[in-house]
Amino acid sequence: MMKKILLIEDDKALSLLYEEELKNEGYSIVVAYDADSALELVKKEQFDLIITDIRMPGKDGIELIANVMGLRKDIPIIINTAYQSYKDDFMTWAADAYIIKSSSLDELKAKIKELIGN
Amino acid sequence: MIEKYSLQPSNFDPDTPKDFVLLSIIAQSFFQPFSLEDNLLIILTALTAGSGIGFNRAMLFLKDGMKLKATTWLGPRSADEAEAIWTMLSSPGIGYAEIVAYNRDLVTKMVKDIQPKLKFLVYDLESQSLPLPAMAALNREIILVTEAGSEPEVDPNFINFIQVDSFLCLPLIAQDEILGEIVVDKGITHAPIETKDIELARLCALLAGNYIYTTTLYKKVVEMEKMAALGEMAAFISHQLRNPIVAIGGFTQQILTSPCQPERCRRNLNIIREQVKHLEDIIYKLSHFLKITIRELQPVDVAPILLNLVERPDIKLKAAKKAISLRISENLPLIHCDPVYFEEAVVNLLDNALDVTPEGSKVYVRARPYNDKYVMIIIKDSGPGLDEKSREKLFSPFYSTKENGTGLGLLFVKRIIDSCDGKLEVQSKPGRGTMFKLYFKVRERGQ
Repeated sequence: MMKKILLIEDDKALSLLYEEELKNEGYSIVVAYDADSALELVKKEQFDLIITDIRMPGKDGIELIANVMGLRKDIPIIINTAYQSYKDDFMTWAADAYIIKSSSLDELKAKIKELIGN
Repeated sequence: MIEKYSLQPSNFDPDTPKDFVLLSIIAQSFFQPFSLEDNLLIILTALTAGSGIGFNRAMLFLKDGMKLKATTWLGPRSADEAEAIWTMLSSPGIGYAEIVAYNRDLVTKMVKDIQPKLKFLVYDLESQSLPLPAMAALNREIILVTEAGSEPEVDPNFINFIQVDSFLCLPLIAQDEILGEIVVDKGITHAPIETKDIELARLCALLAGNYIYTTTLYKKVVEMEKMAALGEMAAFISHQLRNPIVAIGGFTQQILTSPCQPERCRRNLNIIREQVKHLEDIIYKLSHFLKITIRELQPVDVAPILLNLVERPDIKLKAAKKAISLRISENLPLIHCDPVYFEEAVVNLLDNALDVTPEGSKVYVRARPYNDKYVMIIIKDSGPGLDEKSREKLFSPFYSTKENGTGLGLLFVKRIIDSCDGKLEVQSKPGRGTMFKLYFKVRERGQ
């Protein structure tokens, strides 16, 4: 069965890029543009993985992770962000990986494969 | 009973021992808002001014990298001048500004003949052994030299320079670090350097060493704070630039790697063009933001600026199908600001307000006296309003609720208002729109 990923990214161009690229890898992608709508989706649907940005309007990615942990502890989470400086702290936020945004999506794709397979 | 005394005594009793006056002058100099160099000159002056107890001349060496360099040589040219300086220094109510001015004048006079020659007195602190006077700093010892001419451990160049047979070398040390050295002599009175002189000089050197140390440390801390702020700024900028760059790179990669349908290619190129525009916008606003410098506040008449503003084509275009309600109180006083920056601040807020106000609704602009001291400008939108979290983040750099916002606009507004010595308030609730209140100081009569 196709693995389902929830992608939270407020930048429309980037979310489109990720959606297309990850669909090409054989995943089913659901996009949310902010933390609140992502949380609603987590309550209703089953996801195999969450990929989230940190800096977003409203709740940020860190707060989102804390809220997701309250709902579903078992979903692996990848932080995908432009911030390099938080990389050392991501374990304390209960995320499984921290990827710095890059125009090559290879690292992100490899990490997804490592966490949930194809 | 409680008695209170000032930390900085201003008047000395004529019977006060001169050594106490000397230490007091030095201690007080640390409270003065002058530069390190000026305060060190005060210390040198205090050491050399009194013909009765003190030395006549003092040479200051400071550590520069691993070199010990002579930087200043100070001293009166005659016994009378020494006494006159001492009288000035210890007279009641003498201001440090006068002493500093006097010292600067003295150093300037010396610059032509003596000061250039000082640069030849340089000692390498990395050497295993050094001649006197540098040996004192290297070994961290106070050294009294007498009959210098027959002493092989004294640098002949130095003797040639100071032309005296006896001098005292005082290392300036703090936290075991060599910071410099002061060499004092009695070249005018030719009196012998006695044990009590050395004791007093030792205290002066300890104070001066610690003073240099704390001042240098403070400079380093300020520098580090600047670097930290710069680092934070660099992190924000790189974050802000990365999103569009990733999108450009990613969509370019798609065009290059897979057989690209013409429609897909065109869409990707459009996205790339948009992202490049967004990058240009960030760079423009960033450079604009960093450039804000209001050198002189001017009287600004708010009314014509606001009236012109709502007629600007870009604002009119944005306000199509919306309305701007503008009301300006009559006889509005002039404010203190810069007219160009004032307009830019209001444009930024108006632009934001028009962005969030739905079609058919209004943006309100008001200008009225707030009290005798301030004029208040209000810009209120009819948008969705902000929750508490968004309100808190409003002035964070690069925070934006707009899809293509740079997150610099409000920061820019705040910086302008701060530069004009004004105040900015935001009131907002979800569903009730957002109101910005700008307070500008009224230009008082005669200003």
